Amino acid sequence: MQWLITLETERDLIAVCRIMNILRRKGLNVATLALAARSAGFSLMAVVESADSEVDHIFNFLRRTEGVQHVTYYRHEPSQDASFVFIDGDADNSRIARVLEAFPGSHLIFASHGKYLLEVPADSSNRQALTQGFAEPEILPFACVRTTRNVASAELVSAS
Amino acid sequence: MGKVFTGAEILLESLKREKVEVLFGLPGGAVLPLYDAMYSAGLRHLLVRHEQAAAFAADGYARVTGKPGVCLGTSGPGATNLITGLTSAMMDSIPVVALTGQVPATMIGKDAFQEADTIGISLPSTKQSFLLRSASDIPAIIHRAFKAAVSGRPGPVLVDLPKSVLMEKAEPVYPPDAGAEHPERPREWKQDDLERAAELILASPRAVLYAGGGVITADASEELRELSELIHIPVTTTLMGLGAFPSRHALSLGMLGMHGSYATNMAICQCELLVAIGARFDDRVTGRVKDFASHAKKIHIDVDPSEINKNVRVDVALVGDARQALRALIEALKKRKAGPSAERYQWLQRIETWRSEHPLTYDKYANTVKPQFVIETLAQYASEDAIVSVDVGQHQMWAAQFYKFSRPRAWLSSSGLGSMGYGFPAAMGAQMAFPGRQAIAIVGDGGFQMTLNDLATIVQYRVPVKIAIINNRALGMVRQWQEIFFEKRYCDIDQDFAPDFVKLAEAYGIRGARVEHRTDVADAVRDFLSDREPRLIDFWVDPAENVYPIVPPGASLAEMVVEPPRVLVEEEALDDLWAV
Repeated sequence: MQWLITLETERDLIAVCRIMNILRRKGLNVATLALAARSAGFSLMAVVESADSEVDHIFNFLRRTEGVQHVTYYRHEPSQDASFVFIDGDADNSRIARVLEAFPGSHLIFASHGKYLLEVPADSSNRQALTQGFAEPEILPFACVRTTRNVASAELVSAS
Repeated sequence: MGKVFTGAEILLESLKREKVEVLFGLPGGAVLPLYDAMYSAGLRHLLVRHEQAAAFAADGYARVTGKPGVCLGTSGPGATNLITGLTSAMMDSIPVVALTGQVPATMIGKDAFQEADTIGISLPSTKQSFLLRSASDIPAIIHRAFKAAVSGRPGPVLVDLPKSVLMEKAEPVYPPDAGAEHPERPREWKQDDLERAAELILASPRAVLYAGGGVITADASEELRELSELIHIPVTTTLMGLGAFPSRHALSLGMLGMHGSYATNMAICQCELLVAIGARFDDRVTGRVKDFASHAKKIHIDVDPSEINKNVRVDVALVGDARQALRALIEALKKRKAGPSAERYQWLQRIETWRSEHPLTYDKYANTVKPQFVIETLAQYASEDAIVSVDVGQHQMWAAQFYKFSRPRAWLSSSGLGSMGYGFPAAMGAQMAFPGRQAIAIVGDGGFQMTLNDLATIVQYRVPVKIAIINNRALGMVRQWQEIFFEKRYCDIDQDFAPDFVKLAEAYGIRGARVEHRTDVADAVRDFLSDREPRLIDFWVDPAENVYPIVPPGASLAEMVVEPPRVLVEEEALDDLWAV
């Protein structure tokens, strides 16, 4: 399955190197990846592919890795349940402009090197435009599945 | 301004505040400031003959104490030589703190003499790594390193020490407590899941408790025993879990998996509920994973959330400290007035029947020295609290099968990585933690040759490790696999050119003896264990002996080969496997 992961690490490149090593070792097929430095650490966003059965394991593996502060994973969601949109703008700013025009209240989650993740407002009446209006591979709808932000850790693990 | 100290002095003070008792290390250029400070620091240091032994010794120390073991190497080769030991500690979740010298900060990345990218090299072998940038950071970094080593799922942490930082002066500010004293193992289970687990246990008379190293890490052996006895659930342990449950207990099934007993593996195949506690469903345990306990519901208790559903899908997950989880489970069962039942008794009877059909055994009337007999004899004469450390290979499996374990933290084995050369230095580290207990290294002739240079260390420091070599003049497990799975095409397994280990021991100043006859084994073992000196005994065992039962690679536990000549549980399936 295709999924998107965002994570924040402490401000030490060792943590980033460790994350990269994990992505390699866990055999993730990285479709796109962006890294940004913040004052308090590093942020990373990647669209990846892996077997469905691996996703929970990788999420939990990342969240318990030393140096990682937060992890969120989003499932590619081509339905109205999608509330996040990933835009691979590259050098073309028109894509982000079109999405912002369609969803003016969007909240920017991540932006680096022409790659954006936006949260579409919950009350957006035309969410279906996410899946129907932007039928291009550079604009992908996602739904948030799990996040370590403001969530009790008991909610992050589930059995079968 | 308060008093200033060098980075090296601050580091040693930080280690003292972490209650470090001993360091295992070997000096070199980049850590000379540290050794200079050590001259008057009052910290015990054991000079090893190779850094790999330092890492293994720190691992052994950590396994028997539950506290982080500390190893130390200089920059470059000193650091790279630690890596195998750190990887082994990583695989087995053992808290080790490795201190490595590094070239001065301004020379990092310039290919300086004895420079290696230690952080880069060690990343996959450590839980966390730190590169010191300032002497004033040292107290906080060391605190974090020790806390990380013991928290959650324990593991090795590396702190890289540039020489310039060791020499830099700073005014230290120490944390108020020791990082290792307060491990964090957050509870992540929901009460509903706990209740569901209790209901599943109550509803499943054909249940098995499957205990791994996590039970020992969490000091949960008492809780495991209480749960088992509460409603008479039999307990199997992994290689890492040996000692978590007494081998002689009526509800003990011994080890499961590739070299588990027939009864144990059959119990796994036929159970309707499997409760995994601090175990990770590793491939040597499961065999063909899709057939592992395939009829059973599964409960998984583990401190590491990423272990849940990693190899085997489970029905209930309780993420957190094993001791707390077991305690909560016991209370939930007691509330339900759970106890033994006729159905549970029938299940135990069935297991007993399997055990009597195919007991773990060997030819007790052979003229040769059978390695299993040596292990049994060692177990018979060793102290109740003896620490047993093994290398990797056939002797390791025989020890796991035939030694009688009565307590946790007394069995040392490089179980996940399977690193030969581990047994002897790990015993040395354990002996340093408990000088009054027997520490017996049961090693193979192959593995011992990888780290025997540290015979000098145990003589120098009078560490009374007992070394029992199970000498079959070959890399026995490799030979066994070539015999069974590669049509006896033996290739590079003979160790005919091994040294005379008795003379070698004597060259180091250690009393040695060789045993070539079965009738001499008991007397030799008694003598071997009779004093408080390092000793070596070289058992020339039957070189043709193999480890049975064995689950062939890729087969299910039900397809185990029970004993020679091959008695196959499912012969047809096995033929297919061997044809591959």
